[in-house]
Amino acid sequence: MSKDRLEIPDYNSLFSEDRFVQQRENKRQFEAPCSEQETAEALAYSQSAEYLEKNFNRKAVVINPHKACQPLGSIMAALGFEKTLPFVHGSQGCNSYFRSHLSRHFKEPTPAVSSSMTEDAAVFGGMSNLIDGLENSIALYKPEMVALCTTCMAEVIGDDLSSFIGNARQKGVISEDFPVAFCNTPSFVGSHITGYDSMLKGILSYLYDRSGIQAAPGSGEETGEKLNVMLGFEPYTGNFAEIRKILNAFDTKYTFLGDHSGNYDSPATGEYEYYYGGTKLDDVPLAANALATLSLQKYTLKKTQDYIGGTWKQLIAAMSTPLGITGTDKLLDTISELTGLPVPASLTEERGRVVDALMDSHPYIHGKRVALVGDPDLLIGLIGFCLETGMEPVHIVCSNGDVDFNDVKFKEEAEALLASSPYGSEAAVYIGKDLWHMRSLLLNDPVDLAIGSSHLKFAAKDANVPLIRVGFPIFDRHHMHRYPVLGYQGALNLLSLIVNTVLDELDRNHSGFNFDLVR
Amino acid sequence: MDPVRKDEFDSEACGSLSPKSKPCPRPKPGEAAGGCSFDGAQITLLPIMDAAHLVHGPIACAGNSWESRGALSSGPSLSQYGFATDLNDSDIIFGGEKKLKESIDYIAGRFAPPAIFVYSTCVTALIGEDMDAVCKEAGERLHIPVIPVNSPGFVGSKNLGNRLAGDALLQYVIGTGEPEPGTPLGVNLIGEYNIAGEMWDIEKLMNSAGIAVTSRITGDARYKEITWAHRAKVNMVVCSRALLGLAKEMESRYGIPYFEGSFYGAKETTYSLRQMAYLMNDREMERRVDRLTEREESRLAMDLRPYRKLLKGKKAVLYTGGVKSWSVISALKELGVQVVGVGTNKSTEDDVRRIADRVGDDTEYIPEGGASRILKTVRERKADIMIAGGRNMYVAMKEQIPFIDINQERHKAYAGYEGLLRLAKELTYSLANPIWKLASSPAPWDKEAPPYDR
Ligand code: SF4
Repeated sequence: MSKDRLEIPDYNSLFSEDRFVQQRENKRQFEAPCSEQETAEALAYSQSAEYLEKNFNRKAVVINPHKACQPLGSIMAALGFEKTLPFVHGSQGCNSYFRSHLSRHFKEPTPAVSSSMTEDAAVFGGMSNLIDGLENSIALYKPEMVALCTTCMAEVIGDDLSSFIGNARQKGVISEDFPVAFCNTPSFVGSHITGYDSMLKGILSYLYDRSGIQAAPGSGEETGEKLNVMLGFEPYTGNFAEIRKILNAFDTKYTFLGDHSGNYDSPATGEYEYYYGGTKLDDVPLAANALATLSLQKYTLKKTQDYIGGTWKQLIAAMSTPLGITGTDKLLDTISELTGLPVPASLTEERGRVVDALMDSHPYIHGKRVALVGDPDLLIGLIGFCLETGMEPVHIVCSNGDVDFNDVKFKEEAEALLASSPYGSEAAVYIGKDLWHMRSLLLNDPVDLAIGSSHLKFAAKDANVPLIRVGFPIFDRHHMHRYPVLGYQGALNLLSLIVNTVLDELDRNHSGFNFDLVR
Repeated sequence: MDPVRKDEFDSEACGSLSPKSKPCPRPKPGEAAGGCSFDGAQITLLPIMDAAHLVHGPIACAGNSWESRGALSSGPSLSQYGFATDLNDSDIIFGGEKKLKESIDYIAGRFAPPAIFVYSTCVTALIGEDMDAVCKEAGERLHIPVIPVNSPGFVGSKNLGNRLAGDALLQYVIGTGEPEPGTPLGVNLIGEYNIAGEMWDIEKLMNSAGIAVTSRITGDARYKEITWAHRAKVNMVVCSRALLGLAKEMESRYGIPYFEGSFYGAKETTYSLRQMAYLMNDREMERRVDRLTEREESRLAMDLRPYRKLLKGKKAVLYTGGVKSWSVISALKELGVQVVGVGTNKSTEDDVRRIADRVGDDTEYIPEGGASRILKTVRERKADIMIAGGRNMYVAMKEQIPFIDINQERHKAYAGYEGLLRLAKELTYSLANPIWKLASSPAPWDKEAPPYDR
């Protein structure tokens, strides 16, 4: 049967074949080849402190970025709402990137359209593209709401979304009451998390304003006891399920503000529908009357938090992604405080089980030096998890950790967190840096493990460090996003990922003597 | 500065010089359309593996695209690095030329590439950066070619981007170098990007017939080899109309004859090899090609026998860039697979004519409309399998339709005789996987029939 077996993929071993070894040699003549000695020298130089400094002084060019642009996040936010079609106003290329990017991570289709602006739009403005686009896409995809955002192109020429939408209504292309939420998401400001925030705020404020409801936090029979919950730019569909499990255990009522887990974890039924799940549009104005809003990505959701606090006058409990035991404790404490309900015994028990698991594994992870890459809220969670398990964060790179989160600053918080534990004493936090900086750090000052997205795999490979894939995007592994990383269950998942990678490494690099079975 | 020459828009944007030919179809607002011209230009040039590719613009275009192409390298990997100027709001106001200059300097100093390609994007084109001047100045100062690629996304489709990349090669690269004395001269392969290693299969075939590859434009290419592309004896345009203009221009500038061919399917492969030998005007080579193709074809026929049996009468819907449609149809036909629906959204009139030659009248043409339109065709025509690009794969999975990825992110090489065998295997595996049966049978407690009968 070997003939029928699938070989996946066929080029990985190809280059060790003679003909390719030969071919590679032949080709070297074109490559202005340098001697082996020169190569070795260059490698040594890239590991030197001298190059590290030079690399960190680099101002102009970004090499291997670890961030995407605003509209990408905005599409994710839009897909958190029922029957909502994300619409990107700009030229068409960006949209095709966003769709691929999100689809490659979640392994699911991403419905999103673009107004396909071309050079005449650049000169005369993109109004007719936008209006035609609305007409076509509504006919084709039959959404109940369109969520409109811009690309850098529309921003540079200064297109005015609000008046364009008004004109589309006047022309009768969309009816007076067809909802079109919108926000501005120039790519030259912020990153995908900024875009998520802008769109979420855009949708909430739009739906609230048009409803005519007056916010009265904590009031109203059917809505008053509810919590609003926001997960933010959430690459894990499993995290939604985990939060749901926790809130149900509390037996509290809640509304997710933005829940894209339906769209990115839909069943294969034999029939593709464009829209799956999501927050109900009618629930949004009522959410203004909830008791409080729980925000689980405080850096990502800055603008939305301000809006809810300011306009809905609601109590906001904001924290970074609740990872690990301490992170989850804080989450449960907060829910308990906000709702006045006690922490259910089932969760206390779960906590105990995960603590037990951490104890079982601690000898293998204690003192492991770790490099971390990610978005700000994820990093805070990961740092916390490392510290409580005795792992030592060493290099922390955040491409989009702007200093500009008003009252809260990511770098300061991360450093304070690290300073709170002896395991954080060697760590350094870098914001606005890229993966080429990380590569220098890894080569210069080696670590045992790297934690980050798939993009980190190149630097990790150069430095011969195993990569534990956490965050966004994860293109080269399957189904990671289906397992939660937050909550106690998430802590267990993270632990298993990490400790088993360590054990795999032990086995793989084992010399063969005393190759042990029990650990 | 005008980001693109005006005539790119007005006429023959897809590379044909015939006055009848229409420009590339324009993207339609409100659809989930494909890539932009920047995308197209980068796809064409990124396979020049030892060069640095710097994206001049905000993080959008580079941040979203780096390291996600399927063009493979047999050596250098500099082309995989995501270089970007990452312009922010103040650069948009005050201009990003200084940042661009510094970026070029840094890349040249640290990575010493044989050349740097610099891509404009929507934003840099709109704010009127003089990229050409910065590149020129930097190139002279640093003594390496710094090549501006003026192909911002908004000028149009991916195909147009391919073509603009071809223009950049003509203007700045081809003809600027000479091969080492004694290098055997033969064929330039134009528009073959070494997706999943296809170039290597093709090269192996050509070598066994004694045909030398002069320049790869651009699959697994090195910068230098493209500089002497003008010394080749023949140009083969591998199934990519977007770069046809390049071949035409090389014919008029350097007198190199060209032909359009494909390596998908045994028939097309044989035709292409024969055509090369014929245009090289070498009788001995023609004889060698005949012997080789005969041998390979009969061996392939043997190998294919079990698969042909399984594939006979199966129906497929094919949705890919127009450039690939007709040649993949030939390959499928040789395997006995009937194409019942075919995407023509990126095809030119010539492509459509070629498609029509191959499929006859009962095939449905899918001009546009994205996933829903493709799915409708699959259902109505009771197709067994969908062959398309990665973005449509997850939709197919939702509908429980067997699927094969044919675009740039695929992991299988389908070119040449070996490639056809691989395609046959893939089709059989994909159709035969037990998951389809499992998926289409309802849970035991749920008697409802599957949504449609295939
Ligand atoms: S459409 Fe413009 S901004 Fe978008 S990816 Fe293409 S070049 Fe970049």
